[in-house]
Amino acid sequence: MSAEPRSLSFRGVAKSFGDVPALRPLSLDVAPGEFVTLLGPSGSGKTTLLNIAAGFIVPDTGSLHIGDADVTALPPRKRDIGMVFQSYALFPHMTVFDNIAYGLRVRDVAAAETERQVRAALAMVQLDDYGHRRIQQLSGGQQQRVALARAMVIEPAVLLMDEPLGALDRQLRKQVQLEIRRLHREFGRTTLYVTHDQEEALVMSDRIGIMRNGRIEQIGPPQELYRRPANVFVAAFLGESNILRGKIVDCTVGTARLAATGLGTEIGGPCAPGLAVGMEAGAIFRPEAVGFAGPGEGGLPARVMEVVYLGELLAIRLALPSGQEVWRRCFPGTDDPVEGRDVHLSWRTEDVRIVPLDNQPMEEN
Amino acid sequence: MGLAQPSAEIGPEVARRRAHPHAPQTRDRWLAIALLAPLLVFLAGCFIAPLAQLLRLSFAAPEGAFFAYREIAQSEVYRRVFVNTLILAFNVAVITSVLSYPTAYMLSRLRGVAFTVAVACLLFPLWISVLVRTFSWILLLERNGPINRALVGAGLVGEPLPMLFSSIGVYIGMVHVLLPYALLPIYSAMRNVDARLLQASDGLGASALQTFLRVYLPLTFPGIASGFLLVFLLSLGFFITPAILGGIGNLTIAMLIDVFVSERLVWPLAAAASFWLLFLVLILVAVASRFLNLASTVTAR
Amino acid sequence: MTTRTAIATNIAGSMILAFLVLPILAVVPASFNHASFIRLPPVTWSLRWYQAFLNDPEWWRALVASTRVALLATIISVTLGTAAALGLERVTARMRTALLAIVISPLIVPVIMTSIALYYVMRPLGLHGTTLGLALGHTLLAVPFVVVNVGISLRGVDPNCVRAAEGLGASPWRVFRTITLPLIVPGLAGGAAFAFVTSFDEVVVSIFLAGVQAKTLPVKLWETIRVEFTPVTAVASTILLVITLVLFVAVKAAARGLPHQDGSRVR
Repeated sequence: MSAEPRSLSFRGVAKSFGDVPALRPLSLDVAPGEFVTLLGPSGSGKTTLLNIAAGFIVPDTGSLHIGDADVTALPPRKRDIGMVFQSYALFPHMTVFDNIAYGLRVRDVAAAETERQVRAALAMVQLDDYGHRRIQQLSGGQQQRVALARAMVIEPAVLLMDEPLGALDRQLRKQVQLEIRRLHREFGRTTLYVTHDQEEALVMSDRIGIMRNGRIEQIGPPQELYRRPANVFVAAFLGESNILRGKIVDCTVGTARLAATGLGTEIGGPCAPGLAVGMEAGAIFRPEAVGFAGPGEGGLPARVMEVVYLGELLAIRLALPSGQEVWRRCFPGTDDPVEGRDVHLSWRTEDVRIVPLDNQPMEEN
Repeated sequence: MGLAQPSAEIGPEVARRRAHPHAPQTRDRWLAIALLAPLLVFLAGCFIAPLAQLLRLSFAAPEGAFFAYREIAQSEVYRRVFVNTLILAFNVAVITSVLSYPTAYMLSRLRGVAFTVAVACLLFPLWISVLVRTFSWILLLERNGPINRALVGAGLVGEPLPMLFSSIGVYIGMVHVLLPYALLPIYSAMRNVDARLLQASDGLGASALQTFLRVYLPLTFPGIASGFLLVFLLSLGFFITPAILGGIGNLTIAMLIDVFVSERLVWPLAAAASFWLLFLVLILVAVASRFLNLASTVTAR
Repeated sequence: MTTRTAIATNIAGSMILAFLVLPILAVVPASFNHASFIRLPPVTWSLRWYQAFLNDPEWWRALVASTRVALLATIISVTLGTAAALGLERVTARMRTALLAIVISPLIVPVIMTSIALYYVMRPLGLHGTTLGLALGHTLLAVPFVVVNVGISLRGVDPNCVRAAEGLGASPWRVFRTITLPLIVPGLAGGAAFAFVTSFDEVVVSIFLAGVQAKTLPVKLWETIRVEFTPVTAVASTILLVITLVLFVAVKAAARGLPHQDGSRVR
């Protein structure tokens, strides 16, 4: 088994369970050493895709390649993968040492070498003296680190992680997130990571693939998904956003204008591809991009409904004449709004993005 | 993300797996069959086949195919045995259910050491052979046994009671042996009663008696029912205890079958009586399957 | 429930539990009778009848036969039952219910019926009166406990553990040997103990199938009870009782010591 990270490629992979399509045909290339997160709500197909990568599910169509090898027909044990589960799946009747050593022993690694590698793996996850302990004596966070060590010590071509932090509480989750990121920086394993927690995805990933209903809605580096979401779903899923819906009245390459429903104004700005005049779309802008216009500067009329203190930030809930709500986030200042006051909202054109409501990515075959 | 053609080479394994996407993988199915086969073959050969032979025998009376069944159903003597067994089984089921209810209630409230001891007392008899359990009653119930001596000594009776070889002995013995089978389902049902329901009833102003009759009893009724049916079912087929403790008037169906086989060598009658008995048992099982999971009750050990 | 009713229930309950346990223990003092009739409690105590038991080749043979048959029945039950439990995990839920019903049916069908059916079939086959024949009959009644016990243990095994082992490169046999099997040992051991006791204690099947060579202890006891009433019967009963009790305690103690699948200790 090579220690070199390799690429992971899905080609036209689809899977249905009975009549329910869990995955529509999709393709995805994870470059060697890249950390890709599949992010989406439950039922989006992300775990199915991961299980196909592992070999626990066979796709109905399409193929899977690890490196240059076609592994579609191979059972999991022949695929050179490392897996980490949400439930840790540590072997309860074995010590920490034996858990980590399991993969090495399966590969007939000599005892002395096994010992050396397991110790190195324990040091890697900072559990140096825990080798002799039974896993029941460890906390959740420690158990997950052992699971990580167990998956990584065999130097798999691909690392697959299925919501590994789901069972941990908030504090621990943040800690282990950083741990995983550190391990990725240091060892550079090709990683496919599944989660429904967008914060997690943002912290750790080179690229994020947002999934819904068996499709990848958009895939790209976190910055790009955040700043230039492809559609309303992606925008709503990643980070907080304000969305004003309406019909496209004008669009050219790169910019569009949208007649906002119920507001009687038009909003224009950069746009995502796939728009046409007359289409239903959404204008998206982040709460931090919303500002208050000074007197006489125009802007969208609104009323302050609620002011929430979030530690170092203020979140202000505003109601538009149409009844829709917009959130503004800013640092507290000297002229903070009070509830009930009427204001005018403004933003820079470049902070708006006009996107389709729904993307219909080309059906792949 | 590039669009690429799916690989032209599809291995036969993948093709086969794709052809049956809903069926478990072929290798898994064969494995399941291979694992189950030995036991199923064993059951077919050592259980189904002999019973089938017995069925054939039941129609093999020289006097005619249905002679044996009719004989059992119509003969006064045999009918009496069946009726007596049914009455015995019913009474034993009633007695054990009644005795079990307060005991199960007590058990459901115990904790800690007392609980462990009580549960041990309940489960321990189930492990002991029915023969030993019955034999111990011979020692206790006989004319010069400790019970009679105590009764006479205390002046409660003039002379020793003939408890052995009579209905009293049979009832005592069978209730003793079968009580745990009535108790376990009731206990299980009681354990599953949500205490908050009782508190709610209390809070709504019901008296203790009302709460019991309207809430607790209905909730535990499935347990009572399955315990009752289980004891009834087991009693119908009982052999050892009535044979040892009972007298001439206490012949049960099982004892009758034994007589047919061991003494009179009339196999068709034995077979027919067996299947009449099985018929009664199956009716009970059908009724019982509406209530608790019979399988877990039977293997409660 | 009022305190008075609670107290009454506790008294009734305790008496009934005592009724369950104490009479069985009557055989123990009875076995120490010195005279040749049984009196409870004994007038004179001695080990005379224990010696008589051990010196009597028939009783001794019966004890040996019981042990042999029980061991064989346990081996057969555990093998067939464990394999079946493993197989049941891999079939659909509906199949599982149906198959379980078939496996448990020997416990529902009246034992007398099964016994005479087996008697009828085994005689021409030459299995009557043999250890094997008897063990097969006992297995019918013992194997459901093995299947259920092992099944419960199996269900406690986290399926992700199996997947993790597969992902780490282990072959199916290796996964079974290193992961599944160690985790179902408690269920296996419990099932084996139940099987042994079921066979050792079994009376009705043995009466019909044991013949002369394979006459087990319960059969000899059954025959003796109907003929004579010396304390040797109490001795035999006590021995049966003690063996069962030892196994009962051993199983409970072993279950206490073993960790659950998730690592927590059993009560």
